[in-house]
Amino acid sequence: MPAGALWTGIICPQGALQAVLRLLPAMAPETPMALHDTASGRARIIEINQAARARGVHPGQALADALAIAPDLESLPRDRKAEARLLEELAMIAYRYSHQVAITGDGVVLETGGSRRLHGDLDAMLGALEEELSTMGLHASLGTAPVPAAACLLARTGQHVTAVETLRGTLSGWPLRRLALAPAELQKLDGLGLKSVRDVLALPRFERERRLGRTLNRYLDQIHGREQTPLVYWQPPETFCQLLELPVPTIRSEALLFALNRVLEHLHQWLRVRDRALSGIEIELLPEDRRPKIELSAGLGQPGFQRDRLLEILRLKLESTRLSSAIASLRVRADSSIEQRPPQADLWTGTNVNDAWPALIDRLVARIGEDGLCSIAPCPDHRPEKAWTWTAPGTTTTGADTPPRPNWLLPEPRPCRTGELRLIDGPERIEAGWWDGQDCRRDYWTAHDRHGNRLWVFREYKPRDGWFVHGLFG
Amino acid sequence: MNVTTPLERLLAERDDLWRGRRRRPGNALATGRAALDRRLPDGGWPRGKLVELLPERFGAGELDLLLPCLAELTRRERPVLFIAPPMVPCPQSLARAGLDLTRLLIVREQKHAFWAAEQCLKSGLCGAVVAWPHGDKSNTVSDRAVRRLQLAAENGDAPVFLCYAPGSTPPASLASLRLAIRCGGHIEILRSRGGETTGAIRLHADNVVPLVPGSARA
Repeated sequence: MPAGALWTGIICPQGALQAVLRLLPAMAPETPMALHDTASGRARIIEINQAARARGVHPGQALADALAIAPDLESLPRDRKAEARLLEELAMIAYRYSHQVAITGDGVVLETGGSRRLHGDLDAMLGALEEELSTMGLHASLGTAPVPAAACLLARTGQHVTAVETLRGTLSGWPLRRLALAPAELQKLDGLGLKSVRDVLALPRFERERRLGRTLNRYLDQIHGREQTPLVYWQPPETFCQLLELPVPTIRSEALLFALNRVLEHLHQWLRVRDRALSGIEIELLPEDRRPKIELSAGLGQPGFQRDRLLEILRLKLESTRLSSAIASLRVRADSSIEQRPPQADLWTGTNVNDAWPALIDRLVARIGEDGLCSIAPCPDHRPEKAWTWTAPGTTTTGADTPPRPNWLLPEPRPCRTGELRLIDGPERIEAGWWDGQDCRRDYWTAHDRHGNRLWVFREYKPRDGWFVHGLFG
Repeated sequence: MNVTTPLERLLAERDDLWRGRRRRPGNALATGRAALDRRLPDGGWPRGKLVELLPERFGAGELDLLLPCLAELTRRERPVLFIAPPMVPCPQSLARAGLDLTRLLIVREQKHAFWAAEQCLKSGLCGAVVAWPHGDKSNTVSDRAVRRLQLAAENGDAPVFLCYAPGSTPPASLASLRLAIRCGGHIEILRSRGGETTGAIRLHADNVVPLVPGSARA
């Protein structure tokens, strides 16, 4: 164990209930809520909130009994995936404070000894961590110990211990049920008349190993800092992909946005941890009855992460998407991310025009669609009808210098009678296109019609013969 | 001897003299044509206001009229929005007039046109909006849509140009400025709030004053 190492444990009391409730819109605190799990065919309450406790519901009760006591109890099934995600989320937050983060069964431990100096001292650092957890809407408790195995135990009681000797003193008075031991093992120890950690430690080491097995000895060594705790360090994922199952299938876009907002929170953490900027996200909406999934993608002209802007783009996208059946789950993927660069403001005005312009384009494109909103660009082709193209908004190319062109081009050249035209300027011979089979030979003229309008007309020799109007000056 | 002209000139030279109809050049963008600037009440295209253009026929010169101002705006990195242009604006011609094509956005459909215009104006970035409203079956442009655009223009700091299709019936005017464009490039100010209506103003190609960056009135 390196000197000065300090571990902080984060656990979420009632983590299973919190994990499920996070996916639902906020409920009134006086609603009795519970979480049940089905084991050997019987549904039992595992976690409850304060309001349910007041009604006399307690963990371990059969669901039917609980409902008989409190008929208005809202009980939800346990969701292990959501619990795993909650731990991931905790780890993601913890990763910003230390590179040594590990997920242990029901919580997260992080090495805080090394990062202490960066944040001033331990208290300031833990304060910042606590604040961040609460802004994420997580009720968590922290505990600190010099060894990782004990950190999670101390997190439950909210104690902070920095010296190994103090830790040993604290632990010795603890009842055995506070340790993370299997229920069968606890029962065995109880049967031997051992009530506290002190009682177990009073036994000779050899006797303990013979009667109770090697695992208990090793565990005791670990929590007392006599042996290293094996940890698998957690690493933030390379790409962001999250599947979120909605608690209730829904067709309302507000409910979907609520769920997406939760995912965006997670995405934001991921981007911060990996120091990446977002350039686009893809969302799949999976309907409940195995209908074809609906895919949405939103690109950001300016890479970055502004939740409000992203949410607005997603809202516009969802509004223009027709949902025919209820959506059961959604998957969010962000594989197009690039390195983060801090935004730059204009030196003179202080406003960030560079940022606002792509944001405006993003918003317009989200509602109107790529086809409806565009810029126009010249194309290197002599044939005027092929010399322009629609491009993505805000982009264009520069073209070669051409002889004067009219302001307006007709989508298609239209045949015209020459009798009404007075030719003023020309001709400009355009002979091109032999390479793609659409070759033409034309003489372009500027002409006046009888109203005095300036037209751009041409006499075509090949492939057809005749006079055509192609554009309008003015 | 004609004495009116010298007196008129003498009076015009004095800045400290207040003369009923004349107004201080206000919050306006130079049109790029001195002859027109002089006749407009604010001394240019009014910012944050609606300007209605009634061309006698399509392509009578409405884009020629606007291009110097639009080009100047894009040079100052202010985007310009074209809404539902009835034909294809030729990129070579626009670029030749000095327009920065990266700052030109075109909304091709009428459907989201007003929403897009509102968003652009609200962002405070937009330099100008040019819209070609489509009439309904009886070729009448709904005055509600025009009213909505006018409100959006007031919130933004940009002029909004409405080019009515020839032969359509524009709604009762809400705009501060209404210009008729006759074939051959004659312009007539039909309505001008706080200014004077005029007979035809001839604008020739040689009438165009090339705008140097920064010369436009702020």
